[in-house]
Amino acid sequence: MTDLISLKGVQKYYGDYHALRDIDLTIRGGEFFSLLGPSGCGKTTLLRVIAGFEEVSDGTVVLSGRDMKGVPPNERPTNMVFQSYAIFPHLSVAQNVAFGLRKRKDIDKASRKSLVEEALKMVGLAGYGDRRAHALSGGQRQRVALARALVLKPKVLLLDEPMSALDRKMREHMQVELIRLQRHVGITFVLVTHDQEEALVMSDRIAVMFEGEIGQVDEPEALYRRPKSRRVAEFIGKMNFLPARVTGIGPGATPVARPAAQDEVVPGRIPQSRAAVKLSGLMRRGGEPAADTPATPGEAMISLDIAGLGQAQVPMHQAPEGAREGEVAVGVRPETLAILFEGDQAPRHECPGTVDEVVYYGDMTYYDVRVKDVPQPLTIAMKNLMGRPVLEVGQSCRIGWDDRALVVF
Amino acid sequence: MSSGSPLTQDQSRAIRLMGLPFAYALALLAIPLGAVLLFSFWTQDFMTVDTTFTLDNYREVAESPIYGLLLRRSLMVSGLVTLVTVVLAYPVAYFVSFHVAPSKKSLWLFLITIPFWTSYLIRVFLWKVILGYNGVINSGLTQLGLIDEPLTFILYNVNAVIITLAHAFAPFAILPIFVVLEKIDRSLLEASRDLGETKVSTFFWVTLPLSMPGVVGAALIVFIPTIGDYVTPELMGGAGGKLIANMIQTQFLQLNNAPLGAALAIVAMVCVAGISILFVLLNRRWLRRQT
Repeated sequence: MTDLISLKGVQKYYGDYHALRDIDLTIRGGEFFSLLGPSGCGKTTLLRVIAGFEEVSDGTVVLSGRDMKGVPPNERPTNMVFQSYAIFPHLSVAQNVAFGLRKRKDIDKASRKSLVEEALKMVGLAGYGDRRAHALSGGQRQRVALARALVLKPKVLLLDEPMSALDRKMREHMQVELIRLQRHVGITFVLVTHDQEEALVMSDRIAVMFEGEIGQVDEPEALYRRPKSRRVAEFIGKMNFLPARVTGIGPGATPVARPAAQDEVVPGRIPQSRAAVKLSGLMRRGGEPAADTPATPGEAMISLDIAGLGQAQVPMHQAPEGAREGEVAVGVRPETLAILFEGDQAPRHECPGTVDEVVYYGDMTYYDVRVKDVPQPLTIAMKNLMGRPVLEVGQSCRIGWDDRALVVF
Repeated sequence: MSSGSPLTQDQSRAIRLMGLPFAYALALLAIPLGAVLLFSFWTQDFMTVDTTFTLDNYREVAESPIYGLLLRRSLMVSGLVTLVTVVLAYPVAYFVSFHVAPSKKSLWLFLITIPFWTSYLIRVFLWKVILGYNGVINSGLTQLGLIDEPLTFILYNVNAVIITLAHAFAPFAILPIFVVLEKIDRSLLEASRDLGETKVSTFFWVTLPLSMPGVVGAALIVFIPTIGDYVTPELMGGAGGKLIANMIQTQFLQLNNAPLGAALAIVAMVCVAGISILFVLLNRRWLRRQT
């Protein structure tokens, strides 16, 4: 895959307000890329910079090999689906879809008509051509907006929070459809969203943004399992943070022995055919404590003394921001912790705790468990497997944990 | 609802809210209008009015060429005033809506209404000072050596009437256009740019069609009152710039022929009403295409 979009040192100021801070980013051809972040993080500004609605204060934007400096939106190989969908109210559905085609000298009236029909069919609106915009529902408007942009066969389709106006059912439905559509047309999609689940489900890669900066660009799984900073970890999913102390860093380099082959199927690990499995909702449900990449031979090991949990040794790559001796925080996802029931496999480590809160979700139960010397109760996600009881508040339990699931910040 | 049943809440609220304005409108609009209509079917018999029903006044209006001429001239002047006003008002409304910071918009609208601070009559006289034989424009151009003798096509003729009326009615045209422009979703303009249109073609394909209801509204607001205006043509029109309203006034007050004046007024009103209805239908069509 080649770089289709390349941003270098992009800065954007609105007066004194620094909206984009030194953005470096490349997006590959055919990729489904998401810009994810809380509101006001600059993700929409970045999308508008790519579309040409905002001039950069500094830096370069290159689209398919061409510097976009001074190139207006109408001359860029991008098309956009607006948050409000921006369907022209004075035109019919077919006229809306044909809007951008009128300019194309190489397309005559007859083929324009068939292109419009084709595009409407693609988004499931065949036969809606004569309708007026006001006669459409939110989901239908979004489809018209999609058809209107895709009929032009842009190199990049930009989507500005396209799901935010839809109800939950419709949103989940459109997520699946968008993924299908993207595979079908093979066009690069750049999606802006504040919904981490939406980004995880849909994207090939995600850029997480905070306050005008990119915190991390990674594949969904890497982003979830190996957040490079604490704020990324906090924004994506739920993570427990425990105070810890690095007692030593050394070429202790006895790689932790790994019981099985590298390509073993680990429960809870997300398989590669992401769209299919993720859409079934596995991602959201979490899973069993998952083993992670083992230490490579010779990799430095960090010795940790974690509040409540005790001693552990983790390879250097589990400390994405690097590690030094002294106070640190250790992050651990709720689904990588386990409450031990009879008959469960012996965990690598365990410690005692007391159930503080129980939230029952049907397929899952979320426990808050107090552990001695840990300031905040640990959130633990457990699958309600057959024969597994749901504990009650006040019950004492044993917690299993795995040093391979720890992230040192 | 059968008669005699108590009023619904909506009806009694309507009466409470609308009763007084309705009575006011009845006393000051409907009754005089009815009187004018009645008068138009009577005849003036020297000092008294002959109250036998007749269509003689209308016959005279139709047969005397002077009335037709005045009516056509009035419609032409009103049409031109409307055209000039709307064409000049649109860019102002556009500028305030699209290029003035939101916090400054109300200040701009306030400034646009400044001409209303002085009376209409004084404003007309001011235009006399500007356009006159020794007025600002002529003496200015003479001083600069651009002209040898004063321009005469800008005073005491139809041109002067159009200039003065267009200025007087500008705010009435700016405001409705501004309101419609304000309501246009700006992302529609971005969508148009995104789909390949330039700034200029976006205006013609998106902004202008979406603002047409405001343009039609503005045209109506200017057209209807200008056709009945007689102050400006009286003061600025000279001999050749008199309009139908001046003739009506002459019939009523100078020739003492109220019935003929009334018939002229009714004919003028029917013309305006006909053209206005056409405008409204036009407006409807735009609205239907949009909502």
